Amino acid sequence: MDVPRTVATALADRPVAGKRCLEAGAGAGNATAGLLANGAARVYAVTNDRDHARTTRRRVGDEGNRSSDGDGNDEGGDDHADRLAVLEADLRAVPLPDDAVDVITAHGLCNVLDPASLSAVAEELSRVAAPGAHLVVDDYDPVPDGAAIGELFAVENAASELSRGRPALTFYPAAFLRRFFAGHGWEFERERTLLEPVPWTESHVAAHADQAVDAAKEGPGETGDALAAAARRLESEIGSESVGRMYGLAFRLPD
Amino acid sequence: METRPLGDTGHDSTVATFGAIALNWLEQEGANQLVEHVLDYGVNHFDVAPEYGDAELKLGPKLRQHREEIFLGCKTQERTYEGAWRKLDRSLNRLGVDTIDLYQVHGLEYEEELDAITDDDGALAAFREAKEEGLIDHVGLTSHGDPGLILDALDRIDDLESVMFPLNPVVAGKDDDEYDYEAVLARADERNVGTLGIKAFAGGTWPPTDELPEADRPFANWYRPVTAPDEISERFDFAAAQGLTSVVSAGDPKLVTMILEAAADYDGMDEAAQRSLIERVRHDDSPVPEQLHH
Ligand SMILES: NC(=O)c1ccc[n+]([C@@H]2O[C@H](COP(=O)([O-])OP(=O)(O)OC[C@H]3O[C@@H](n4cnc5c(N)ncnc54)[C@H](OP(=O)(O)O)[C@@H]3O)[C@@H](O)[C@H]2O)c1
Ligand SMILES: C[S@@+](CC[C@H](N)C(=O)[O-])C[C@H]1O[C@@H](n2cnc3c(N)ncnc32)[C@H](O)[C@@H]1O
Repeated sequence: MDVPRTVATALADRPVAGKRCLEAGAGAGNATAGLLANGAARVYAVTNDRDHARTTRRRVGDEGNRSSDGDGNDEGGDDHADRLAVLEADLRAVPLPDDAVDVITAHGLCNVLDPASLSAVAEELSRVAAPGAHLVVDDYDPVPDGAAIGELFAVENAASELSRGRPALTFYPAAFLRRFFAGHGWEFERERTLLEPVPWTESHVAAHADQAVDAAKEGPGETGDALAAAARRLESEIGSESVGRMYGLAFRLPD
Repeated sequence: METRPLGDTGHDSTVATFGAIALNWLEQEGANQLVEHVLDYGVNHFDVAPEYGDAELKLGPKLRQHREEIFLGCKTQERTYEGAWRKLDRSLNRLGVDTIDLYQVHGLEYEEELDAITDDDGALAAFREAKEEGLIDHVGLTSHGDPGLILDALDRIDDLESVMFPLNPVVAGKDDDEYDYEAVLARADERNVGTLGIKAFAGGTWPPTDELPEADRPFANWYRPVTAPDEISERFDFAAAQGLTSVVSAGDPKLVTMILEAAADYDGMDEAAQRSLIERVRHDDSPVPEQLHH
């Protein structure tokens, strides 16, 4: 698979080659692919979603013969599967011992963690990180006022709050996560802008509408129906929208 | 309009090059008007080829009127010494000019063609003679084929002064070597060879002809172009921001004004915006590299 430019840019100044890495929240496998392409000795890709685990294994593990420079025989190119362990687990209780990894990536993770989970996950990341470890946190600033996609996120969050008692999405400002991780002992090293504007494509919009509808179905009857209908309406009205900013933060634990 | 040095040629090309294939779709009067329009924007580099229908003939009158203002690129798909000489004479006649500023090997696709043009009785031997005789000033090469082949050409042709190749955010988002035209740009820069970008405005491939017959396509390009002004301008900005010497305008005359506007307004594109564009389009189909089987 192709390593997205966002991931390549976020990792460009991080020492990954030969390192033990934890990809927190494996999702689509993008950051996993980036870590492997950059020569990670081992990548533990953790997600609590069975489909995401499978996707990551399929896109990155099985297909490791095409990495960064795509010539099919760069070092580490065809042994992706050997260096990758996809773990289906909760990041609030990472199944790794203390001091087990040198590099941690949280690429698009924090926005799917409500504040309580974020807090618990940060504890765990700090625990499994070895002294001197690097942490990469890539995420989205809050969507600017007036953005149409913001309405869809509002509906998704309303449905999630009503049915599950917590928001589906929380967009933490860069400055917030910077101070938050500093509070967990991570020294801030740098911030970069990865995307500006952020391209919310039709498939992203559709995926968020689907999430909203799923959550709405679990919610109370009439309100749930109204939220589901609103999500579908917004999906077709928005189509796609390029708005907001994705940032990349880098931290380091003291030796 | 911004200009950039075209490699070692000593010519500074405007950041937009006029793809004169657009004239093929116009009557003579419209063609004359389009050339004046392009010159009004300050564009000083034109690109034409004998394969573009009547484009050479239709460019002729205004080219002769404004010969001093135009750096003229032309090309040949001939691979042999004899063939290249014949085509060069023919182009000079059809254009009605004494010299061509940049004469290019057109549409290189196969390694055997590279062997052929570099052979003792290959096209490049004719190019070199023509250069000595003052009929052409500079030697270039174009390809929308495999980037590896263009890299080989850069390595093997010592007197190559420009290369024309595809570059757009769709191919930039793909990691495989077959899409790695950025490597071509980097190698050309190293060698101080001028770089001309094509397919900057390619949106993807056309639907299959049983869904959309060729006659019903709304644009003359053989790929599906982006067509909205915003998209045209971000595509232009992207191509120019990669560091190409110049971006060649698309083949359909309906798109030319939008491209000229984008070129006139060009003032860089920051990297986060470039990544944003790549991220938005990188899953699209790419019409290049393409085996055109000329
Ligand atoms: N018969 C063919 O194989 C063939 C190939 C290409 C285009 N065309 C005709 O040209 C029209 C528009 O061309 P386009 O859309 O490709 O161009 P474009 O990107 O819209 O315009 C860029 C200019 O660059 C030229 N160009 C593009 N690729 C090139 C290459 N590999 N080598 C040298 N020059 C190149 C184009 O002609 P070229 O692409 O010809 O080179 C054109 O002059 C089409 O509607 C089609 O009718 C025919
Ligand atoms: C938006 S995706 C991240 C994208 C991914 N990093 C990539 O590069 O493609 C978020 C991921 O975090 C996972 N996740 C969210 N909360 C989690 C938790 N408490 N424990 C484990 N995984 C979690 C989700 O299942 C999903 O796989």
